[in-house]
Amino acid sequence: MTQKHEPGECRCSRGLTRRGFLSTVGAGVAVASAAGKLAAQPAASQGADVLPSAEMTPITLNINGRTHRLLVEPRWSLLFVLRERLGLTGTKVGCERGECGACTVLMDDLPRYACMTLAVEAQGSEITTLEGLMRGEELGGVQQAFVEEDAFQCGYCTPGQIMAVEGLLRAHPEPSQEEIQMGLSGNLCRCGAYVHIFKAAGRAAQLKRGQ
Amino acid sequence: MEPRDVFLHVRGEAVFVDDALLPAEHLFAAIRTSHVAHGHVRSLDIAPAMAVPGIYEVFTARDIPGENQVGKTILDEPLLAESEVHFVGQPLAIVVGESAEAARRAARAIQVEIDPLPAIYDVRQAFAEGSLIAPPRTFSSGDVESAWEQCSVVVSGTVESGSQEHVYMETQSAFALPTDRGGVKVVSATQSPSMVQLVVARILGLPMHEVEVEVPRLGGGFGGKEDQATHWAAMAALAAWRLKKPVKLVLTRHEDMTMTGKRHPYLSDYKLGLDAEGHMLAYEVTFYQNGGAVADLSPAILERSLFHATNAYAIPHVKAVGISCRTHLPPNTAFRGFGGPQALFVLECAIFKAAEALGVEPREIQKRNLLQDGDAFPYGARVERCRQRRCWDVAEQKYNLQAGLKEVRQYNGRNAWRKKGLALMPICFGISFTSTFLNQAGAFVNVYVDGSVGISTSAVEMGQGVNAKIQEVAARIFSIRPERIKLETTSTSRIANMPPTAASTGADLNGHATRLACLDIVERLKDAAARCLGKNAPHEIEIRDEAVYASGEATELTWEKLVNLAYFDRVSLCAQAHCATPDIFFDRDTNKGNPFAYYAYGTALVEASLDCLRGTCSIDAVRVVHDFGRSLHPLVDLGQMEGGIVQGVGWMLLEEVMHDADGRLLTDTLATYKIPDIHSIPGEIQVHFLEDAENPPGIFQSKTVGEPPFLYGIGAYFALLQAMKAFRPDAHIPFSSPMTPEKVLLALYPGDRPV
Repeated sequence: MTQKHEPGECRCSRGLTRRGFLSTVGAGVAVASAAGKLAAQPAASQGADVLPSAEMTPITLNINGRTHRLLVEPRWSLLFVLRERLGLTGTKVGCERGECGACTVLMDDLPRYACMTLAVEAQGSEITTLEGLMRGEELGGVQQAFVEEDAFQCGYCTPGQIMAVEGLLRAHPEPSQEEIQMGLSGNLCRCGAYVHIFKAAGRAAQLKRGQ
Repeated sequence: MEPRDVFLHVRGEAVFVDDALLPAEHLFAAIRTSHVAHGHVRSLDIAPAMAVPGIYEVFTARDIPGENQVGKTILDEPLLAESEVHFVGQPLAIVVGESAEAARRAARAIQVEIDPLPAIYDVRQAFAEGSLIAPPRTFSSGDVESAWEQCSVVVSGTVESGSQEHVYMETQSAFALPTDRGGVKVVSATQSPSMVQLVVARILGLPMHEVEVEVPRLGGGFGGKEDQATHWAAMAALAAWRLKKPVKLVLTRHEDMTMTGKRHPYLSDYKLGLDAEGHMLAYEVTFYQNGGAVADLSPAILERSLFHATNAYAIPHVKAVGISCRTHLPPNTAFRGFGGPQALFVLECAIFKAAEALGVEPREIQKRNLLQDGDAFPYGARVERCRQRRCWDVAEQKYNLQAGLKEVRQYNGRNAWRKKGLALMPICFGISFTSTFLNQAGAFVNVYVDGSVGISTSAVEMGQGVNAKIQEVAARIFSIRPERIKLETTSTSRIANMPPTAASTGADLNGHATRLACLDIVERLKDAAARCLGKNAPHEIEIRDEAVYASGEATELTWEKLVNLAYFDRVSLCAQAHCATPDIFFDRDTNKGNPFAYYAYGTALVEASLDCLRGTCSIDAVRVVHDFGRSLHPLVDLGQMEGGIVQGVGWMLLEEVMHDADGRLLTDTLATYKIPDIHSIPGEIQVHFLEDAENPPGIFQSKTVGEPPFLYGIGAYFALLQAMKAFRPDAHIPFSSPMTPEKVLLALYPGDRPV
């Protein structure tokens, strides 16, 4: 994905990302030893370094323009929280390893695999899921384009594909063919509807420009 | 109402099994499997699992109240292993806990000791040791033995085709709820609701009517949920039934890849004889199918390989032998094409080799031998309404084969390190379940007093668009707007004894059943209209575009008014119908019969580009002329065509399933097992719908699509081979799929390093 970074625009806290990620993966040694020490700290406000693995932490997530205050375990993925705690099942589980793209959401307009993102690191970002692309009862431009171009078969990868295109178009309102290809390269479709998904991305760019 | 649920999908509102809201008190199951390919289970200690916080129960084979058996035709598959294990990933125990994570942690904590036994992974070894799933089968016609001497050229060799992981984006999933009568309701991502019902009833020792199975929709199936969705549904059912609580079981991708079977790898020995003009006279082939540890659908899949041994060609003398080998891999299973692709690949390899021997191009042999009316298949069926030659000729002209070949030649002349290849791929695929009894389906149509319609059938929607086709059938029979018609979920309580949605038969079987049910209601509505209007006989009444006509004259009745009137007239507005494909039969003693309702035909031109330094190949174009009959839903059919081609190309060039020496899957993630992404699809896919292609046995003269497009992917292999030959004409290229860049380089540079 070609990403456009304006200085100071991206608010995802990258330092936290890496440490947070390690705390999940290496849930054993490093985290356990750090846990006792850190438990005394005020929980999970922004910038918290390493959190105890099994203790619930209050966080605030901004999802689709709404604020959600909830308790999470620090190692819970954003995907788990979206689906199992907030009931936002439009975001799909495909591999839970950042390999298929079914769980793609936007964080501050950038596509992210929700399975590879910790809920705690999503604090402070604007999270957009498929449900958030609706304009009332009306479909968003990318959704409309997927309908027009018949860009799906079984529909399971569709939410992730739509979010990938949405993220692409927010960074590149007039994407080239190559940019579309790059923008969709992290999303698998086993039904093989790629030709239509590709066309839908182009159509969505038109629709969004027309708005 | 949009039966393909497009608006639900783009809003994220389409509910798949794992998305359904469950009662708050529901539990999660996880599975402990064998880490050994073959062995005696010495001990299984569940105490450490029970000690994990949040664990409710652990179930092993001893906890199954009914029969510990999920086998279908051959009863050789326990739900949970007892004293022996037969593959890595075989389920041993089910752990139920308050979260999926706790259940998985506890499953890992179970102490299992297994004494290893010798394991077999190779089909030749299995055959030599007599490890077979079923006795070998032979299809034959003519007399191959005496035919060889009439041949000018005889080629022989061995062909390997690889496995293929389904990678339906939605993993295997089910949840089960206990019912108040002591039964269970199972919501399952299965292509075979009735099979799940039967197996759950067997496992729990219940009559089938105490087990309801419902399928909302599938996030892809491709055959991988025909037989192998049953296990997880049965496990969820067992847990829910024992604990009297709702239980959900959803496999992770890694679990799904390691526990479930895949497309069967085949090793095949062939011998093909031709006369000097390139007529194929005799063909002998032995398919060694790697069935894995249990029968699953292997015998049926092997049978289809035998049916399609000669693909789209007329060969007078044929002997095809199928041997299903029992090994210690997870049970291989149905996958789009169901043994057909493996068989077609072998013959195309034989043709490629024969062409070299004769000094001609493979396409010349292909074209000379295409089927036509009056020919017969080796299993005795007559070839009728054959469109093979028409598809080929139209493809040659429409896509300008000669110009394409010239371009490829010129390109190859200009470029030293990049080469192109062009191959043709004619296909013929029989449509019907080869087990004749499965060719039946039911439909249940309800017309409500407001004129809306709800239809239940045996079909499971998995992206193939079967619901859209059924909606189209009902809309045509009633002559009403499709928006009035809703396709319900698939449920065993509404339709009994369903076939799997498989073998590309969904639209035909369920479409015909729907047609019959709708016709019943139309007759009743016409009677009611005639009674109401008072002047006309029922046969003079016509419903057209939502309005009612009597003897061709418009009446004041609309669809809605007519339905309402019929209701007040106490007319039944629901109908059930059953469809059984007529005129098909097959005798498994003589291996002769007419097992297919009809055949799908077509031809593809496939163009490949090869980077001869890196061994990487891209498919530039796949151009197809296909016989869709009179397409019932061109948009759906186009999608099936494109998707099938992409999957077929993946099988041939990209997707490599690998195991280690102890039978453990190495390619167990999507990082190590590569399926086509947006970069690896053909640069161009053109599809031409063959004109004037009525198909009387199909629903409204259509032909089903589903599996046949997968076969065009085989052309990609031979386009690549052509490109390789253009770079190094003397290259010895083994017939082994997938032809990955590694294999390409090994064939192009048989020494040690690039020239």
